[in-house]
Amino acid sequence: MSFWRSAGFWINVLLVAIGGAVVLLIHQDTLRETVFTILMFVILASSLNIIMGLTGYVNFGHIVFFGLGGYFGFFLLSQLGWPLYLCMIAGGALSVVIALVVGAAVLRLRGAYFALATIGINEAARAFVANFAPFGGATGLYVNFSAYNAYGGSSKALWWIFTLLWIVTIITVVVCYLVKHSRFGLGLIAIREDEDAAMVMGVKTPWAKTAAFALSAFFPALVGTLYFFKNGNVEPEDAFRFQLSLEILVMVMLGGKGYVLGPIIGALAYERLRGVLLVSPLFKNLHLALSGAILLLIVLFMPGGLVGWVRDRLPRLRRWLE
Amino acid sequence: MKTFMSFVVALGLAGAIILQPLGAAAADKSILIGFTASQTGKLNVEATRQINGLNLWVEQVNQAGGIKLPDGTHVKVQTKYYDDESNKERVQELYTRLISSDKADFLISPYSSGLADAAAVMAQQYNKIMITTGASSDSIFKKGYTLVYMTYTPASRYLTGALDVLLKLDPAAKKIAIIHENDKFSTDVVTALKKYAEDKGMEVPMFEGYDSGATDFAPFINKIPKGVDGVMGGGHFADTTTFARQFYEKKVPAKMLALLVAPPEPKFAELGDACIGVIGPSQWEPFATYSPEAAKAEKVEWFGPTVQDFLKLYSAKYGKEEPSYHSAGGYAAGLILQKGIEAAGSLDTDKVQAAIDKEDMYTFYGRIKFNTTPNLHGLQDGHEMIYIQWRKDKQGKPEKIAVWPASAASAAPVLRKVE
Repeated sequence: MSFWRSAGFWINVLLVAIGGAVVLLIHQDTLRETVFTILMFVILASSLNIIMGLTGYVNFGHIVFFGLGGYFGFFLLSQLGWPLYLCMIAGGALSVVIALVVGAAVLRLRGAYFALATIGINEAARAFVANFAPFGGATGLYVNFSAYNAYGGSSKALWWIFTLLWIVTIITVVVCYLVKHSRFGLGLIAIREDEDAAMVMGVKTPWAKTAAFALSAFFPALVGTLYFFKNGNVEPEDAFRFQLSLEILVMVMLGGKGYVLGPIIGALAYERLRGVLLVSPLFKNLHLALSGAILLLIVLFMPGGLVGWVRDRLPRLRRWLE
Repeated sequence: MKTFMSFVVALGLAGAIILQPLGAAAADKSILIGFTASQTGKLNVEATRQINGLNLWVEQVNQAGGIKLPDGTHVKVQTKYYDDESNKERVQELYTRLISSDKADFLISPYSSGLADAAAVMAQQYNKIMITTGASSDSIFKKGYTLVYMTYTPASRYLTGALDVLLKLDPAAKKIAIIHENDKFSTDVVTALKKYAEDKGMEVPMFEGYDSGATDFAPFINKIPKGVDGVMGGGHFADTTTFARQFYEKKVPAKMLALLVAPPEPKFAELGDACIGVIGPSQWEPFATYSPEAAKAEKVEWFGPTVQDFLKLYSAKYGKEEPSYHSAGGYAAGLILQKGIEAAGSLDTDKVQAAIDKEDMYTFYGRIKFNTTPNLHGLQDGHEMIYIQWRKDKQGKPEKIAVWPASAASAAPVLRKVE
């Protein structure tokens, strides 16, 4: 069946497309900032879902690609004056190359060993950037405020950045859907279920895993470049936040790993949940602890996340919730 | 006649009714100051102190009837704040909310350079004046902002005063070694220090960075070249304290040890003999001796409470909590805004900006003056770090004394005893 005839495809795409379009139509700054964060999380969680949800490889270092790709994109923008969209693509390309090289080595590891290696990669990347002079070392890089003039002034630039992020979100969701429903995606799912059996059945597992890893690395770099440009600066501590890596993982688990809709729902639910907890006098100091408890409950009682839970109880909705 | 009198009384009453609301409106004018505070997350303690200082200023201003404009209008101050979780994404979202939805008139930055940097770009984008406090990074002010003003002494001048102290005590000093945490703040500080030392004709034979969280400094201390007159650097509390202890244990024969962040903290005294002689920069200390008389001698205007008044007000409101430089910075940020609005006689952004540009005053927190050149607009030019030094008191216990600059010092600095 062609993907454009699938209800599941349109639900996923329309959810993010309408979400962003409403913000652009209402044109309210506060709403834009709130949705910016949600869309950013949707991209990070959806891209992580390609390697974690489909292949079953738990990646604690997904934020590396946000950091490295974003750093490179921001470097081109701030030091060489490249246009924003080219910087995004260049940042994404570098992330893919790094993922191919790193993936070829670490994807030979399985289970907990792979997960541990990804933590090490994050630390190594942060230490490298903090000592890499062209990226400003520990001090980082920044752009002059006048850089926004090229986009019609600072106010318009914020809307321009949001629009680009919205487009990237839609592309990410479409790519995730296409990957999941492709022959390549079936190979990844086979690896998740039983890697040895997948090899016997003819899946080229090293190639498939590395390709999935590289694909999942592309989109965080685009977000990183946009996010750092919006901030006006980039520093190692912001670019390689391990806590954000964990939060993305929680989003994927909360929404449902392996489903395209899962990270979208997970990002939205986690962001809103965090917002509610932070203004609650009782939970404001415990929101991370509560998030951890929620993750534990999901793993124990709802391993398919919110989407998986609904699909199990309402089988008729399965063709809608993919 | 009776009709005429009734007419006059009625006219008077009508006039009073019509004019009364206008008068009341003028007296009851108010401004909303927006900010975020890290009530959760790693910056919680410092941010809370900063907000305590700011809230004290708000309380004082409102108790005095509000900010007084030259036309007699009193402007009451209201605040609106949110918890930013010590998180940059949250900061930008919340400052946009403060500006767009809550209609904040002026902004105060969150605590820390990273968060203030994220907030500053929003302030400039939405044409709002922001006073940064708890942020010392120079780079915020190299971005071409025109509406962002700094309360703290910039990072680039954190340790340059320590070098001045060394040269004053030992004009023959020629070499310093710099060992620092490899993070943004410390790197900013020591990069400026190195340049300052080289400009003074000194040599910097050692310039080494260590990773955040380092606990063993022996390789760095062993590498300090012979003949070094002073050792400077450090990073944050934990690493700097450990460094100071190991430095003492290794008996390094340097005449000065000047370190970042840790020495002004009271807990630094727990090092015992290892803390004696160590010099450290602080934005402000409760024993600072800034006074209206000293300001007058320098022909600079004094504004706001004296140091003693601030200490009394703070302890009256917050009990046993001694104000830290974070608290003082929060109060001083309010004073900068108050002075700007009073001088402008208006709440208009452009007029208040022009007035703050011209500010040059002494407060309990020290001197306040801003750089107004296009490349560094808003950078704090007037305020100087206070350098403290740990000494032994009469009972032989460590005590902290302000030793530099002269306007804030309660004793002269001394060199370390070299064994």
